[in-house]
Amino acid sequence: MRAAAGAKRLLTAFGLAVFLASAAPAAAAPSVEPEAWDAWRASFLDASGRVVDTGNNGISHSEGQGYGLLLAVLAEDRETFERIWSFTRTELLLRDDGLAAWRWSPSEEPRVTDMNDASDGDILIAYALGRAGKAWDRPDLTQAGAAMAEAIGSHLLFTQEGRTLLRPAAAGYDRGDRPDGPVVNLSYWVFEAFPVLAELAPGHDWAGAEAGGRALLASVLAEGSLPPEWLSVARRPRPAEGFPAEFGYNALRVPLYLLRAAPGDEAERARLAALAAAMTDPDTGAVRLVDLASGATKERLTDPGYRILPAAVACAQGGTPLPDDLKRYASTLYYPSTLHLLTLAHLKEEHPGCLR
Amino acid sequence: MSALTKTTTIGLAAGFALVLQGSASAADAAPTHWNAASGPATIVAAATVEPFSATLAQAPAPAAPQPAPAPPAAPEAGAPESPPAARPPAVDETALRYFARQGDTRRLEAEIARLKALYPDWQPPENPLEIEDAGDPELDRVWELYSQGRYAEVRAAIAARQASEPGWQPPADLLDRLAVAEARVQLVNASNLQQWQAVIRVASATPSLLTCSEVDVLWRVARAFIETGRPDRGRDAYLYVLTQCSNDAERLATMQMATQRLPRAELDPLLATERTGSDGVGEFASIRADLARASLAEAADDAAATVAPADLDTVKRLADAEGRPSDNELLGWYALRRADYPEALARFERARAAEDSSTVSQGTALALIQLARFAEAESAMVPWREASDGARAVYLAAVANLLAAPGGATIDQAVLARAVDAAAKARDAATAQQIGWYAFSLNQFPTAAQWFATALAWKADDEPAAFGLALARQRLGDAGGLAALQREWSARSPRIAAIGREDGVGLAADAAGAGLAQAEAPRARQAAATETPARPRAVLRERAAAASPARAPRADRSAGASGRSCPEEIDPYTLSAQAALARGWCLLDLDRSLLAAAAFNSAVRRGAGAVRQDAAYGESLAYLRLGLVDRAALAAAASPQPAARRRELDVAVLTDRATSAYEAKRPVETLQALDERSRLAPERIDLLILRGFAYLDLRRYGDAEQVFSAVARTGNVEGARGLNAVRQATGRIRSNY
Repeated sequence: MRAAAGAKRLLTAFGLAVFLASAAPAAAAPSVEPEAWDAWRASFLDASGRVVDTGNNGISHSEGQGYGLLLAVLAEDRETFERIWSFTRTELLLRDDGLAAWRWSPSEEPRVTDMNDASDGDILIAYALGRAGKAWDRPDLTQAGAAMAEAIGSHLLFTQEGRTLLRPAAAGYDRGDRPDGPVVNLSYWVFEAFPVLAELAPGHDWAGAEAGGRALLASVLAEGSLPPEWLSVARRPRPAEGFPAEFGYNALRVPLYLLRAAPGDEAERARLAALAAAMTDPDTGAVRLVDLASGATKERLTDPGYRILPAAVACAQGGTPLPDDLKRYASTLYYPSTLHLLTLAHLKEEHPGCLR
Repeated sequence: MSALTKTTTIGLAAGFALVLQGSASAADAAPTHWNAASGPATIVAAATVEPFSATLAQAPAPAAPQPAPAPPAAPEAGAPESPPAARPPAVDETALRYFARQGDTRRLEAEIARLKALYPDWQPPENPLEIEDAGDPELDRVWELYSQGRYAEVRAAIAARQASEPGWQPPADLLDRLAVAEARVQLVNASNLQQWQAVIRVASATPSLLTCSEVDVLWRVARAFIETGRPDRGRDAYLYVLTQCSNDAERLATMQMATQRLPRAELDPLLATERTGSDGVGEFASIRADLARASLAEAADDAAATVAPADLDTVKRLADAEGRPSDNELLGWYALRRADYPEALARFERARAAEDSSTVSQGTALALIQLARFAEAESAMVPWREASDGARAVYLAAVANLLAAPGGATIDQAVLARAVDAAAKARDAATAQQIGWYAFSLNQFPTAAQWFATALAWKADDEPAAFGLALARQRLGDAGGLAALQREWSARSPRIAAIGREDGVGLAADAAGAGLAQAEAPRARQAAATETPARPRAVLRERAAAASPARAPRADRSAGASGRSCPEEIDPYTLSAQAALARGWCLLDLDRSLLAAAAFNSAVRRGAGAVRQDAAYGESLAYLRLGLVDRAALAAAASPQPAARRRELDVAVLTDRATSAYEAKRPVETLQALDERSRLAPERIDLLILRGFAYLDLRRYGDAEQVFSAVARTGNVEGARGLNAVRQATGRIRSNY
């Protein structure tokens, strides 16, 4: 716990610094390159403001809308932000509690077939609204972000054995919902968002929630080199029942979120480096999806949007040059392409040397 | 332009905003705001009310009517060059022009209504096409996107133009309309997903959405209020439509929705807004009719429910004017539940004449049963007796009553065949037992024994059937069979144990009476659904049972009684005593008790010895059957009777005394007669019930409970009903039975 408390103090300070920096009127060029942004929009955004998950039957979800809004802020593209926000508000922000319905399908009626939310989508949307409101002096966006942050704080944060943690959704993962509940998902902690949420809705323990996520990740990585996605935290953290115990598509975002948030202390930086190394296939540089029980590699992902995740950590922390083919953006599928753009944006902001 | 003038009137309505304001912001602190007068006056004031809440409002809620509302979002950090000076301090009519040019009448009207709500002094232009063209084709394209419902693209286009043309401000009107349109989409989506809080949140933030041009939205908001436990606010939303909006179809639909979602009491203020058409018919006539039917239908299932006289009149008027079978049937059930059997029968018969159905026939049969017209009841149910379990039960009730009917009327062979068939199909022990008693009364003892045995096979603990079987075996001389039955039942049934013993004669004579009383069981089963205060029913029928001791002895002597006519009707006093006696028995068999009494009396006067004795007996039986207990007693005293017969008559007289006293609400005398009777004969179950209710009337709850418990243990429904009455009386339960 000592380490976690230290990390919390440090990170809060760093997080705020990052937030304030990004909130200042952007004098420099946008961190998402216009050319790459145009390509992303052409591939994954329709005219109605819907971000299309091309790897998933063309459905949409709150996570995609949140990523779209965040990328629009990073691209300083108000037009696209307005478009995505209009869709998000009218089609997903329909829940009584002010959170976003998580799933939207163009081929079903009603489009929203599951009223549950997904906390990573909620956080991404609120975070992007907060940043846009500040960057563009738009009180209406700030207010919308504040309302969502308030709802997230009220419905999605909880305490477990002294730690503040994040529910994956408002319903379905608690102690009363499943025998091994509460269950959390480490990849739902969008660490960079927490300082912004704290400004939007100061009445909740956002610093505690951020620290709780980091501490939980640290404890998991103390036991193995890769984190599982769905964790039961009822007792000692362990893979949740009913989910494959694997390092999978969700979890591979964890290093990106850590990298984008703020550098932690030495121990955390070491953990991040180890994680990046462990997820990389040493021969090909592909990202490995791993069965955690056997340690066997289940899949090797070669899409540049995946490969850049550990490569960016290696460059940012260890100076390992980024392979050239990862420096350029070209659309493939929604998920890796989105991660690709977010990684490139971070490198451009914080480690421009990696892109030269 | 007629459309224009129409919308102008609509536009005078300022929107439903106040209602929402009252609900969400001022809240309960200022109930006067909106509870006191939910009339149009308060609602019109709405346009000047502050927007619901600043914290969540992304929509530019129209605030106080100002010449040029500022755009909600100041899109550029840099100060605007100057306020759009070209615009007069008036209403932005760009949208009007655009919609008029597109020929988009619906949106044109909606826009006029909206502007009118915002700016009460504003007059819509005579011809929106003549509004000065700003000459801005780019803006026209944006309006086109808007009118196609592509709101995200409108947002994007505005942002794009602001980026390419620094200082450009979109028309405030466009931003207003856009916010309202997006709010509408969000509200409709939330409503479709039953997120009622979200519906109210969006509506509260967007008061100008709530006008007559968006009645669908008002409906959704009304429902959201009702679903979240605020029916009064839901009602006010409907009331807003009904007081402010004039589209006939929408008004009717509003009223229909209100009837589906609100309790009847909340509907009256809504119905009061009814407008009368040029034909003199109120626009809600059909709804009023349906409401009246619904309240009648509810009352038809619940005898305790009261129906407003106006509702009853409405349905009667409709039934008489239009003759719909369903209306007449409804009235039939209503009357049946309220024991108005002639009215019920008349209504059911009218319905049946128009269109027969299983339920109408059941109603008809139940009314006929209550009117003691059992043969007609049976016949009404013949076509429907297999239609459903309920129909079969009604049919069997008719059959049971028919079989048990007093008067010894012979039942038509076809009817009997149907009854036998139905009993067999339904494996109905009660009907089987009834057929047994019927056969027994015709001295067909082997047949009777068969049916009693069948009843026992279908219902092993059917004591009356066992009793019947025992009696039949006794009559058949089957001593072994009787003894076997007595071994099996003596512990449970004293009367079975008593058969064949010295003191068992009276019991045997009681046999047909037991059968009659038992006929109440199927009937009571039916009656349970049709009448709540069922207690007098069994008692009334008891009068017939009281006369039945005659059957056993009569069976001995009236072999010819199955002929359907008696010796010619001549003055009984000219007959010989013997002939008068025979005629008396014959008439009694035909249930013509008064004539029978006269014949017996003639025989008593002129006869002697056994003839006189028999005639006195017959006369007292005839009077008993007529309910003239005292004369019966008198007649019995005219000639000394053998002890057994003496006792039969005494039992019958006392039974009738008990019954009459109870009906006259004299419980003490009831109990006296019952006590006296119980010294002569074991108390039958129906008399036990009577005793229970007498105790209940005297507030001897402990005794009543004891008696009803004993009755209930025999499986008789009256026992449970009596226990329930005791509990109700002692306040242990509150529900109606």
